[in-house]
Amino acid sequence: MTIVGRSVTKTYQRGPQPIVALQNVSFEVSQGELVLLVGPSGSGKTTLLNLIAALDWPDRGEILVDGLDVTGLSRSTAAGYRDECVGIIFQSYNLLPQLTALENVLLPMLPRRRPNPRHALELLETVGLGDRSNHRPSELSGGEQQRVAIARALVNEPALILADEPTGNLDDENARKVIALLSDACRQRGKTVLIITHDRELIRPADRIFELRMGALTRTESDPVSLAR
Amino acid sequence: MRSDDGAVAVVDQATAQALGVDLGGTFPVRKTDGQDLTLRVVGILDRLELRYPPPRTVDAPALRPGSSAVTSGVFVTLRASEEIFGRPTLTDALVVARTPDTVPAVVDRLREAFRLEPGVFVSESYSRFRRRVHDFALTLALFTAVGAATAVLAGSFGANLLHDVYADRRRQYAMLLALGFRPMQSALTGIAFGLATVGASAVLGSVVAIVFAPKHFAMPSLMAELGTIEPKFDALVVAVLAGMGVAILALGMAPTALQLARRSIAATLSEERG
Repeated sequence: MTIVGRSVTKTYQRGPQPIVALQNVSFEVSQGELVLLVGPSGSGKTTLLNLIAALDWPDRGEILVDGLDVTGLSRSTAAGYRDECVGIIFQSYNLLPQLTALENVLLPMLPRRRPNPRHALELLETVGLGDRSNHRPSELSGGEQQRVAIARALVNEPALILADEPTGNLDDENARKVIALLSDACRQRGKTVLIITHDRELIRPADRIFELRMGALTRTESDPVSLAR
Repeated sequence: MRSDDGAVAVVDQATAQALGVDLGGTFPVRKTDGQDLTLRVVGILDRLELRYPPPRTVDAPALRPGSSAVTSGVFVTLRASEEIFGRPTLTDALVVARTPDTVPAVVDRLREAFRLEPGVFVSESYSRFRRRVHDFALTLALFTAVGAATAVLAGSFGANLLHDVYADRRRQYAMLLALGFRPMQSALTGIAFGLATVGASAVLGSVVAIVFAPKHFAMPSLMAELGTIEPKFDALVVAVLAGMGVAILALGMAPTALQLARRSIAATLSEERG
C-alpha cells in the first residue's frame, strides 16, 4: 500500500493562538516499507499519523493511500477505509476494559460481522499471550496490553499498520518483542508499517526514517545507520 | 323542555309510577311560600341513571335501594325551580310528595334526617359539595404537581447519571470508530447500552414499587370518605415510564453524541482519561 502526502498542513486552535502542527509536509511511502517517524515532542508526528488514518482532517493538502484521497472522506467512508485497510496501534493501547484480551482482538472483525475467534487466538499466541486470552486489560501488564493491541491491529490483515509510540511505555525486553512483531508483519506479510518512536535503537530494522521538526519534514533518510549516528 | 316553558316537568318512569301520573297528567308541589304549584308531565324517561355520578356527600334518598347513583327525579325548568324554592339559585334536589297533604310529614322526615330545613339543606349541601369538589381538584392538582416534580427530578437524576456514564465511555466510542466501526454501528452500541441500562432500572424500580407500595391507602383529610384508593400499575404508567426512559436516554446520550459528531476522532482519543 503506497502513501503519498502532498503539502499537508494542519493547524490547531488552542486559545487565541493557532498552533501549526504540520506545515506543507510532502512525503511518499512505498508498498511494504517500514518507516519510522522521529522527532521531538510536539513536532507533528501523531498528527501526521492521525491524518493518514483519517482520524482527523488537514486544513490543506492531500494524502493519497493507494490513490484514494483519505482527507476528504465522510465519517462513514473513513470508517470503512480504516476497517478494510488500516490497523492502528495507540501509545496508550486503548483496549476496552470491559472485554477480555480475546474479545478486544476480535473487535475489529465485528463491523463486517465476520468474527473469527480461532484466528484471533492464533494472533494472541503469536504475540505470546495465548494463555492470557481470557484476561481483562486490568489483569495484564503494560507490555502484555500493548501486544494485545498489536494483535488487534493485525487481526483484519490490514495492508497498512500505523503505530504511535508502541514501545513508549514498555521496558527494553517488551519493546524488542513489539518491534520484532511489527517488523515481521512488514517483512513476512508485506505490510506497509509506519512507526512513531523516540527510541533510536528501533532505527535498525527501518527502511526509511522521516524526521519532523516544528511541523515540517526536515529529513527523509533512507539509510537508517547514518541517522542513528 | 324549553327554558320559557311554565310549570312543566319531565319525570322518570319510577317517579311517574310512584306519583300515579302519565304523560299529560299533573301533580302538585308545595312551594316554600306555602302555595301549591301544579306541574304538568311533558315527558317520561324510561330510566334515569347518571353515569359517573359525583361522589356522594350525604346519603340521599333513592328509589332503588342500595344505589349510589341518582336513580329517580323530576326535571323542571330553572324558572319553575326558582318559583318553587323562592330563590334565584340553582337547586339540585326536588322532593315530591304523593299529595299536598303529605308534604308536612315529608318535611318533618327530612328535618329529622338532616336536622335542617329542606331548602337550607339543599343550598348548604350544594355549596358544601362545591367546596369539596374545589378542594378535591386542588388536592388532585397538588398530587399531580408533586408527582410531576418527582418524575422530573428522577428523570434529571437518571439523565445526569447516564450522561456521566456516556462521558466516561466517550473515548471507547471513539475507539470503536477508530477500529472501523461505522458511526451508525457505534451509535447503536451506545443506544443498546443505554436502553439496557434504562430498561433494567425501570424494571427494577417497577418491581420494587409493586412489591413495596401499599395495596390500599386512604387519601388524607378531605377525601378520606371517598374510601381507599388502590394504586394501579396500568398501561398509562407503563407508557409514562417508557416515555421517561426514552427522554432520559436522549438527554443522557445527546452531549456525547454531539461531541463525537463535531470533533475529530483523534481529538476525542487524545482527551485525558476521566
